[in-house]
Amino acid sequence: MTVGGSGNGGISLSGCRVLVVDDNKGSRMLLGALVSEVGVGHVEFAADGEAALAVVEIFQPDLVLLDVRMPRLDGFEVCRRLRSNPSHADLPVLIQTALTGDDSRADSFRAGATDMVSKPVVPFELMARVRIHLEKVMLIRDLRQYHERVAQELTSARVMQQGLLPPASRTEALALRHNLVIASHFEASSELGGDIWDIFEIDDHRLGLFICDFSGHGVTAALNTFRLHTLARQIPPGNTPSQWLAAINATLKPLLPPGQFATMLYAIIDTAADTLTYASAGAPSPVVGDASTSLLLDSMGMFLGVSESATYVNHEVSLAAGGFVFLYSDALTESLASDGSYLGDAGLLDLVRDSARVEPQGRLDAVLERFFDYVLRPLTDDLTAVWISRR
Amino acid sequence: MEHKVHATSTGQEVIMHGRFTFADHENFRGVVQLLDDPSAKRFVFDLSGLEFVDSAGLGMLLIAREAAERKKLQLVLRGAQGQVRRMLDLGRFDALFTIQD
Repeated sequence: MTVGGSGNGGISLSGCRVLVVDDNKGSRMLLGALVSEVGVGHVEFAADGEAALAVVEIFQPDLVLLDVRMPRLDGFEVCRRLRSNPSHADLPVLIQTALTGDDSRADSFRAGATDMVSKPVVPFELMARVRIHLEKVMLIRDLRQYHERVAQELTSARVMQQGLLPPASRTEALALRHNLVIASHFEASSELGGDIWDIFEIDDHRLGLFICDFSGHGVTAALNTFRLHTLARQIPPGNTPSQWLAAINATLKPLLPPGQFATMLYAIIDTAADTLTYASAGAPSPVVGDASTSLLLDSMGMFLGVSESATYVNHEVSLAAGGFVFLYSDALTESLASDGSYLGDAGLLDLVRDSARVEPQGRLDAVLERFFDYVLRPLTDDLTAVWISRR
Repeated sequence: MEHKVHATSTGQEVIMHGRFTFADHENFRGVVQLLDDPSAKRFVFDLSGLEFVDSAGLGMLLIAREAAERKKLQLVLRGAQGQVRRMLDLGRFDALFTIQD
């Protein structure tokens, strides 16, 4: 077995680049041979300090092996200049220094050296140190690449998830046809969210509308929103809300592992009967009202995915011209302010009452403006809010 | 969330304090393992010291419920108040657990 060599099952260094700087040709050859023996694939040389700085820019080494006493610039000065350039701040620089004499060792560290190798060269030690520092470079690089890849994938997943939400073109067309104002806001907490909402036409005077929040957040919750998006399309929208939720629940329950669940509310807006009919699986209480009064409605109901036999209750309230319904996820009522307080149900009702006084187009903005005024960012939970006003 | 475990004549009581959230996942796994005690017939979660529960906390209670159901244990949620009580009511936990004041 070659000690410190490439055959010891460690990380391959064949893609690594090392610059050897020494004014003595014999030393350069010896050091170069040892570095190659470690398994480094690319070795470059410089015979003085100025040449070293020039070669660093062209060769872009992963590690520099630096002699101290050289013509033109000495090793300490080379090291100092490298460190003054932010793009070389993390470049491992190994300075060759005599074992005796604490001064030069202290000088090496002061100049910004990463580590030292003894001069005259001790092959075993030199090879071990070069290998350790290159392995560290490689591991950090791997980690960074992995991190970047995951971040990119999360970004594309976020874009895909945004695609599950009703497009503005659809909500605008529905609003026009049914004489409504539809305003919505969706904001995933850290990376991916577990919230989803949708609105669709049932017939010329009825619209179906749901809001759903999967427990937890992140990748698992987000994958569940894709499931739900598909499921929701398979249930006839004209079913009563309680039938609709029961059907979703019966399909979802076997798919969800224990501990995962969703809260959901499905509502039908009937502009001919002037009603809102809804059923809720433990979603936050919807607010229904008009310019003069707002009410928090009962939304108790077993969460989706908990019990296959769960049943739900239909509630019907009046929703005449001039009236509105406001749906939201619990991030709105439970997100903390810097003093540890949160809006809660009572605070929410006040906020909605105040916001209902402005023009329908500005109501949701009024809610969000006050919410974002006090809440700590970034949000720790996904926020969805939908305000639908009848003209 | 912090918790203390008391043995009673019929089973165990877990007294919970603070905020019960996603951060307690590891911690609560140990609590669920207590359900394996073969002598227990009844298991009580005392929630009177809990200030807040989020969806992950509720999910962990549901995990405990599934484990208890497999072992034919009675699971009691006791003393929930404020936001915690409202969450249990909202999700109709009365249909899933024995709820006590």
